[in-house]
Amino acid sequence: MEVDDAAIARWLDPLATTRGDAADVFVETRRQTVVEWRDALPGEPRVSVEAGVSARHRRGGRERLAFVSGAGETSIRQAIRALQNPSGRPAPPGPKAADRAEAEPDSSVERWTRRLAPVLERHAPRHRFRWSLDEITRRVVPAGSSPARSSRRLFSLEGTFTAASRRGDEIRSFSFHAPEADGTADELRQALTHAAVARERPIPAGDAGGDVLFARGTAAFLFHEILSHALEAGAEESPLSMLAAAKVSVPDLDVRDDPTRLDLFGGYERDDEGTRPRAVKLLDAGRVGGRLTDRAHGEARGSSGHGRRSGPGDPPLARGSNTLVSAGAATSEDMTRRLGSGLRIDEVDSGAVELSSGRFRLQFPRARRVRRGRLAEEIGPGSIAGEILAALSAVEPVIGRDVHVCRSLGWCSRAGQVVAVQGEAPDVIVRRLAVRDR
Amino acid sequence: MIDGELEGELERRSPGAWELYRKTAETRELDVSAAARGEIWRREEGWAARWWDGGLRFASASDRERLASAIALAARLPAREEAPPSFPGREVQRDDSADAVDAAPELFAPLSQLVSEKSRGEATLASLTVRRGRAVEEIRNAAGLSVRMASSRLDGVARALGRRGSRGCERRSVFRWDAEPDLPGLAGRLADGATLPLATRGLPFARGAWLLDPGVSAAMLAALAPLFAADNLPRWLKRGEAASRRVTIADDASADAPCDGEGTATHRILLVEEGALVSRIHDLRSAARAAAHSTGHGVRPSYRTPPRPGPRRLFFETARGVAPPELLAGVGRGVFARALTAPVAVDLEGDRFSVEFTGVVILGGRASEPVAGGRVSGRISEFLARIAGVATDRQFFPMPYPVGAPTLYVERVNFE
Repeated sequence: MEVDDAAIARWLDPLATTRGDAADVFVETRRQTVVEWRDALPGEPRVSVEAGVSARHRRGGRERLAFVSGAGETSIRQAIRALQNPSGRPAPPGPKAADRAEAEPDSSVERWTRRLAPVLERHAPRHRFRWSLDEITRRVVPAGSSPARSSRRLFSLEGTFTAASRRGDEIRSFSFHAPEADGTADELRQALTHAAVARERPIPAGDAGGDVLFARGTAAFLFHEILSHALEAGAEESPLSMLAAAKVSVPDLDVRDDPTRLDLFGGYERDDEGTRPRAVKLLDAGRVGGRLTDRAHGEARGSSGHGRRSGPGDPPLARGSNTLVSAGAATSEDMTRRLGSGLRIDEVDSGAVELSSGRFRLQFPRARRVRRGRLAEEIGPGSIAGEILAALSAVEPVIGRDVHVCRSLGWCSRAGQVVAVQGEAPDVIVRRLAVRDR
Repeated sequence: MIDGELEGELERRSPGAWELYRKTAETRELDVSAAARGEIWRREEGWAARWWDGGLRFASASDRERLASAIALAARLPAREEAPPSFPGREVQRDDSADAVDAAPELFAPLSQLVSEKSRGEATLASLTVRRGRAVEEIRNAAGLSVRMASSRLDGVARALGRRGSRGCERRSVFRWDAEPDLPGLAGRLADGATLPLATRGLPFARGAWLLDPGVSAAMLAALAPLFAADNLPRWLKRGEAASRRVTIADDASADAPCDGEGTATHRILLVEEGALVSRIHDLRSAARAAAHSTGHGVRPSYRTPPRPGPRRLFFETARGVAPPELLAGVGRGVFARALTAPVAVDLEGDRFSVEFTGVVILGGRASEPVAGGRVSGRISEFLARIAGVATDRQFFPMPYPVGAPTLYVERVNFE
């Protein structure tokens, strides 16, 4: 039987004795199913069923966290007791009462296995994909405020497939992350169809400076790195940390972080401190907007609902969720013409930013050269590098009108903690970036 | 303890072809920065089962009851046909103690002082995470194996910030100490990594010799490590001439654990001997595919993932190496790569690599001026063939398994 919230809150009371103290209990159950697909045949099924609980206490700049496997009363009490002991060393564990395992799963995993086979066979028959479904339930009981629960079902398909190019077969990478929903299979089908389109064989990108058109939602990847990370509370070394309300980009550019978009991979109803999240404007008409905060950094306005944990064994950090770029008015053709000469990027594999230097880097599997406003040869793979403030000031003051979800953006790691993220964006041009072969 | 009921359940599902694994771990972590302090205590339990029922299936869980539930679900999913491997069947019992884990040592203040000294005040220690942990692993299988082994570790990550004028740079360094904490070594890497990229000059020449710091060499070796576990070697790799004759590479984790994650006994294996690729590493499944025996390299990075073949403690042999000053003295014109500025990139199929680094110019056998950033890219085969010197200053780095490398001297590369 599940321990009720009131009982947990009572157990926490002795911890939160001083004004400004914060204490909470975080319980997570997670079921992950993984199937390896080889040429439309499923295999090597892996199922993980986990439960964990942590108790946390924060006073001033000092935070203590105790984590124990399991989600039952014994585990919760043990985690809280560890915090009550000033040495941080808990009493040796007593006999652990059998923790109730979650009810048998519904049949969605088997249904997905049946549905994926024909989709993969038709759109990418030769492949090595890893499909996973994460079913995550979280419960937060904070001392002195109301408890919260949330759950998510996250669908991912990643790997490589053999696609026909005009000069023979080639191996292409594919990555698709979405919350499980009625339309997920259709959207996956469209993404695979687009990824498998016949193309010319790519030539090396070469090393050069260049102008880049971020198309098909890949601008979300860029702004996730250079805005979302740079405006996470606690990132004092970020070049944006001292530039509140400063004009750093074109007035046409609005970027926000919005966890309430549950149709995107990074969405949630409550953050991992139990706060109901709100959208935060990162860039408001080209000016630096607000910061993404958790309870520790919320100050007068309180947390923005961005306190996120990788799992129950980790303390919450202020983290981004869904990076959204507002639409402009230009068509895709206008944007390509406007670019003139440079690269058009439709896919990004990964990204990284170093906040102290402001340098960022995005890796792309392929791109398209644009010459005099026309699409030219296929390029790739390569990387794009730049500096945050220079890149923001080099955004072209014309933004695309069609917004695309960037389903290849799915998981983000900071300090070893991985959380689900995503974003959507229209076409955006950034001038004078460094492009390199990989 | 693993109980007989689960074993019975697996034997019923898959007679003679199953394995059970359990891990319990206790960790104490100290996260310190100038403004904040965090203490984390974790007591983690993990269970895993692997069985062959029409093909391989795997289940993991945080406790016994949930493992039973995970097994039931995995059993309902389709599996590709695969014969079970031959399981090790001997019995080992070692280190049955269950000592409590002491608090992680307080090292922020002394490390901060050292970073400041070594960087002449240009770098500061921004944060330090130190973890002390102890784990007990148990493995049982259908062939009667029963292993229980304990291990402990002290590791963490440190982050330093370098600043010169308006420019800043960050350096993260992960560490793992098998003995006493090596604070001067860590401070040196942090100080150089955080300040060398702030230099105003780039590389002064396009071609020359290349000295790789042990940390850079280790990252390169870790990037090439999948070659030692590959079922099919890339076409460019010639077994007899994989590297220069000065290169000998081995894997030996016998000081860390008596068995691998599948219960196969640990032993030393020579992978590259005087430049020739002489063997590869196997877990049970890869050994079965190759009609060979496991080399004791079934690694489990976590109880959540099934074992896979991989290195456990991989290193360059340095018995016939030379002292680092001797290597330096032999460089007429070159660059010493002191720290990476981006992860090493390799394309093992395509025989390509790329290393981005910061370091120091060497002229006439002496260190000259710092270099903000440089890049060396080219063919892996040429890199390996041109290793003209191996020093004796081997150090181990967590990649995340221990990788040991000394300073390496590559006689000729093109700098970008």
